[in-house]
Amino acid sequence: MGWALIVGACLVLAFLGYQLYITDLLNDRVQAEAMASLDAELAERRSQLPEPEEVPVTVPEEEPETPAFVRTSFVPEAGVPEGEALGRMTIEKIGVDEVVFEGVDSDTLKKGPGHMPWTPVPGQPGNAVISGHRTTYGRPFYDLDQLEVGDEIHVETAVGEHVFEIREIHIVEPDDVWVTEEKPGAWLTLTTCHPHFSARERLVVQAELVQGPNAEYASLLASQAEAEQDA
Amino acid sequence: MRRLWRALPGPAPLRALELLVLAAVALVALFFLFEWAGGLLDSGGVIGA
Repeated sequence: MGWALIVGACLVLAFLGYQLYITDLLNDRVQAEAMASLDAELAERRSQLPEPEEVPVTVPEEEPETPAFVRTSFVPEAGVPEGEALGRMTIEKIGVDEVVFEGVDSDTLKKGPGHMPWTPVPGQPGNAVISGHRTTYGRPFYDLDQLEVGDEIHVETAVGEHVFEIREIHIVEPDDVWVTEEKPGAWLTLTTCHPHFSARERLVVQAELVQGPNAEYASLLASQAEAEQDA
Repeated sequence: MRRLWRALPGPAPLRALELLVLAAVALVALFFLFEWAGGLLDSGGVIGA
C-alpha cells in the first residue's frame, strides 16, 4: 500500500512536470526556430502574391435606391500547407509574441497557436479562427482572460500587418461552433481552454480588422452587409 | 525490482535485455497516458473538435 502511494505520487509529479515544464521547453525550441526563419518565409510568400485587386463595392447610403459604388483595393491571400508557419501574432498587453501555424490538429498546436484551415487567413474577409493552448506547450493564451474590449491584436502575414480591435469576449461550450461562423467584414477569433487547467469550456475573443492592407475593403463589406440587413 | 528480476525467464544477460524492453514499453505507455491526461488539462482550445 505504501509503495503504491509513493509510486502514484511520483507519477502525478512526473505528469505535472511533463505537462507544465517539459512541454514548454519543447515548444520554446520550436517557436525559436520558427521565429528565426519566419521573415524569410514571409518574404518569399510575399514575392508570390498576386497584385492588389481593384474591387467595386456597393454601399447603400441613406437612400437604398441610390447606392454608392466604391472602388477599393483588396489583397487576397491563401493559406499555407498544414503544419507550416502562417504568420506572427503579437498581443502587447499580455506579452504574446508567437508564430502562428496552419492547422489545429494536436501536433500543430504543440508548436504554437494554430489557424483553422477552413477559415480565411487573418486579414481576409470573413472570420479567421486561431486556437491555442492555455496551460501547456508554451501556454500562448494563458492570459487571454486579461484582454478587454478595445485591446489590439496584431497579426503579420505575407500580405502585411493586420491590426484587430477586440469587440466581443465569450465563454462557450467546446462545441459552440457558432463562434467560428462567417461575419461581415474581416474578423479574428481566438479560442482557448477555460478555465485554467481544464478543457471544460472555451474562452473566445473576437476582434475586428481596423488597420491593414484590407481594412478599408473589410469595413465597406461590413457596411454593405449592415445596410442589406436593415433594408 | 528484485522480485521482477527473479520472475524474468532466461539467463542474466537475457533478463537484462527483457528488463530494458519492459522499461521502454512502460515509458511509451506512460508517455501516451500523460498525453491523454494532458488533453483533459488543456486540449488546445479548438472549437467543435
